[in-house]
Amino acid sequence: MGLADDRRGIMSAPKDSLFNESSINQIETDQAAWLDTALSEADRAAEGSFFTHSGIPVKLLFTPADVKDMSHARDLGFPGQAPFVRGVYPNMYRGRLFTVRQLAGLGAPEDCNLRIKYLLDHGATGVNILFDLPTIRGYNSDDPESEGNVGACGAAVDSIWDIDAYFRDIDLGKVSTSIVTHLPSTSIVIPGMYFAVAEQRGTPWTQVAGTCQNDFIMETCVGSAPEILPPAASFRLQCDVVEWICKNIPRWNPISYNGYNLREAGTDAVQEVAIAISNAIATAEELMRRGMSIDDFAPRMSFFWDLHNDFFEEIAKCRASRKVWYQLMKERFGAKNKKSMLMRFHVQTAGVTLPATEPYNNIARSALQGLAAVLGGCQSLHIDSYDEAYSAPTEEAALISLRTQQIIQAETGIVNTVDPLAGSYYVEYLTDQMAQRILASIRKIEDMGGLVKAVESGWLHREISAYNYRYQRSIEAGETKVVGVNYQPAEKGACCSIDVFKYPETFTRQKAKLERLRGERNPKKVKECLAVLRDKCHSDENLYPYTIAAVKHLATLGEIEDVFREEFGRWAFPLY
Amino acid sequence: MARKVRVVMAKLGLDIHWRGVYLVSQFLKDAGMEVVYLGNQFPEQIVEAALEEDADIVGLSSLSGNHMTLGPKVVRLLKEKGLDKVKVYMGGVMAPDDAAALEKEHGIHKVFLPDTPMEKIVNHMYASVGIPRPQPQAG
Repeated sequence: MGLADDRRGIMSAPKDSLFNESSINQIETDQAAWLDTALSEADRAAEGSFFTHSGIPVKLLFTPADVKDMSHARDLGFPGQAPFVRGVYPNMYRGRLFTVRQLAGLGAPEDCNLRIKYLLDHGATGVNILFDLPTIRGYNSDDPESEGNVGACGAAVDSIWDIDAYFRDIDLGKVSTSIVTHLPSTSIVIPGMYFAVAEQRGTPWTQVAGTCQNDFIMETCVGSAPEILPPAASFRLQCDVVEWICKNIPRWNPISYNGYNLREAGTDAVQEVAIAISNAIATAEELMRRGMSIDDFAPRMSFFWDLHNDFFEEIAKCRASRKVWYQLMKERFGAKNKKSMLMRFHVQTAGVTLPATEPYNNIARSALQGLAAVLGGCQSLHIDSYDEAYSAPTEEAALISLRTQQIIQAETGIVNTVDPLAGSYYVEYLTDQMAQRILASIRKIEDMGGLVKAVESGWLHREISAYNYRYQRSIEAGETKVVGVNYQPAEKGACCSIDVFKYPETFTRQKAKLERLRGERNPKKVKECLAVLRDKCHSDENLYPYTIAAVKHLATLGEIEDVFREEFGRWAFPLY
Repeated sequence: MARKVRVVMAKLGLDIHWRGVYLVSQFLKDAGMEVVYLGNQFPEQIVEAALEEDADIVGLSSLSGNHMTLGPKVVRLLKEKGLDKVKVYMGGVMAPDDAAALEKEHGIHKVFLPDTPMEKIVNHMYASVGIPRPQPQAG
C-alpha cells in the first residue's frame, strides 16, 4: 500500500482478503480513467505534494486498491482481540466511558487537599497530583535552586508530611491516585511517601491504587535542568520502581511511558510512539534479566500519547500503536497473559499547538484533538485549556475543558459504536503506514544498541532539535499554518483580555514546615538511612526499600535526591 | 565589516521547557549573531557568563512562573557588576500584565510572548545594539 506502490502486483492477497482481484483491477482501471478525464491538469500536477505531519504521502483519493492486501483477521480483528487495532475492550465505551482526568495542582499540599475534596465531592473517583518544578526535579522548597518556582505549576512536596497533608481526611484505600512524578529519581521517593502514609493510617498496600509516571526519557531528554542523572542511572531507578511496585503494590501502575512530553519537546507522531515503545522494550529486557517474567509486569505498563493537529494521522497512530505493541509482546516477548498485549493509553491534547493569539480559538483546536483521541480509542483523556499559553488554567478555563469532554461523551453519539472509522480506505492506509514506520524507527534504535545508548550518544537530543528547527522554519515560511498567527493573522490588538491564574503564596509556608520537621525528627536516624541508601546505590539491590525507610524517618525529598546526584554523578545535555 | 552581536541565552532556574529557547538560539546564529547557550542557569552564573563573553544581550526563557523573581534578579546583578549596557530580553509563557511590568518596572529591555516570529526577535536585537544586520550570503 502506498503512493509509489512498488508492491502492487507483487504481494499476493491474503486468503481472507476483503476484496477480490478482479474488482481491484476494475477499480484501478476506472481510477486511471477518472484521473485522466475528471481532473484538471492542476489537480494532477498537485498529486505527490501532500503529506501528513509525519511525512506519509496523502493522495487526493483513497480507494479499495490502497488497502487491497488488508486481511480482516490479521490487520483488524475484533475489539478486545488480537491485534487490538479496534480497541482493547470488546464493548469499549459502552462498557466504560473514557475517564475524564483533568489535571490540577497548585501551591502547598494544604491548598490541593481542598481542591481534591471538592472534586471527590462532585463525583470524581480519581485524582491527579501535580508538582512544582523543585519537587519534580528533586529539590526542597528552601533550597536556593528553588527560588521563584515554589508552588508554581503544581504543589510543593518536601517530605512525607506533605503527602499526609495532601490527602488529609481522604481514604487512601478508596481513591485512585495518579502521581505525576515525571522522573524515576522522584518516582522512587514520592509514591513511596504515599505508600508509607497508607501504612501509617492502617490501609493495606493491597488496597492502594494508582499510577506514577516514572520515565527516564523525561529525566534525560524532555526537560532540561541544571544537571541531571546520567541515562543509565535514571534507567536503573526506573526499573527499580517497576520491579518493587509490581511485587508490593498490586493495584499500582508503576510506569506510564510518556510519549506526550517527548512530542511536546519536539518529535513527530512516529517517533513519539517508537521511543515510548523502545523504552518499554528496554524495561522488559532489564526486568527479565532480573528474573521476572513478561507477564509479571507487562499488564501494568501504560502509555501516554499527545494528540496533535493532523486529525486522521493521530487516529491512525492510536490504532497502529496497539497493533505494534501486540506483535511485540506476543511474538518477541512470548507474553501469555492477554493483558500484557493490551496497549492502554491516556491522552492529553497538544498544548504546543495552542497559541497565545486569540486564545478562545484554542477551545476549538482542543475539542478536535479530543475528538480524535476518542475515535482512536483512548482509555482516559485530558483536554487542554484555552489559556495554555498564559498560565495554568483558571477555574473557568478548566471547566470548559471538562465540558468539552462531556459534550464528546454525551452529545456526539460517537461512543455508541466501537472504532467507527475502521474500514475507511484512508484511515486503514494510514494505520498500516504508521505501524510500518513505528516498527522501522524501533529497529533503528535497536541498531544503535537500544534506547539508553541512543540517549547517551546525544542522538535523541539532536533528533528533537532538528525536528523543532524544521517545524519552526515551516511556520516562519507559512507552510505550516496557524490560524490567527501566520494564516489570516489577527488584527493588531485583536487579542482578547484574559484572566490569568495566580498561584497562592507557598514558599514561606513550606519553609516553616521544613524548619519544624528538622527540629522534630531524629537526625541520627535520618543520617543512618541516607548512609545506607548511599551505599546501596553502588550495589545491584533495588533501592525502593531504602528510600521508603528514609522517608519514614522524615528524610526530605531534596536530601534523598542529593544522595543520587552525588553517587550517580551528574550529566549535562549532549547538545551544547 | 561590523562586528558580530554577542548573545548569552539561558533557561531560567529549574524551568524544564528547552524547546523555545534553543530554537531562538539557533535562529539568532543563523542571523549572524555569536550565541552562547548556557542551558539551565541561575542568575549569578548567567551574569558571570555575560561578563566573560562580553555580551551585548542576555536572553532569558521562562515558562514556569519564575519570570517575576529571577528575571529582575538578573537585571539587578548585571547593574551591580557595572554591566548596565547589557540588554536583557525575556521570552516564554506569562501573563501580559507581568510582561508589561517587567519592561516598565524591572528593567527588562523587551519581553517576547508566544507566537512572535523569529524575524521580529532578530531585527529587534540588531536595532537595540545598533549594529547593522549582515546580508545573508548567497547560496
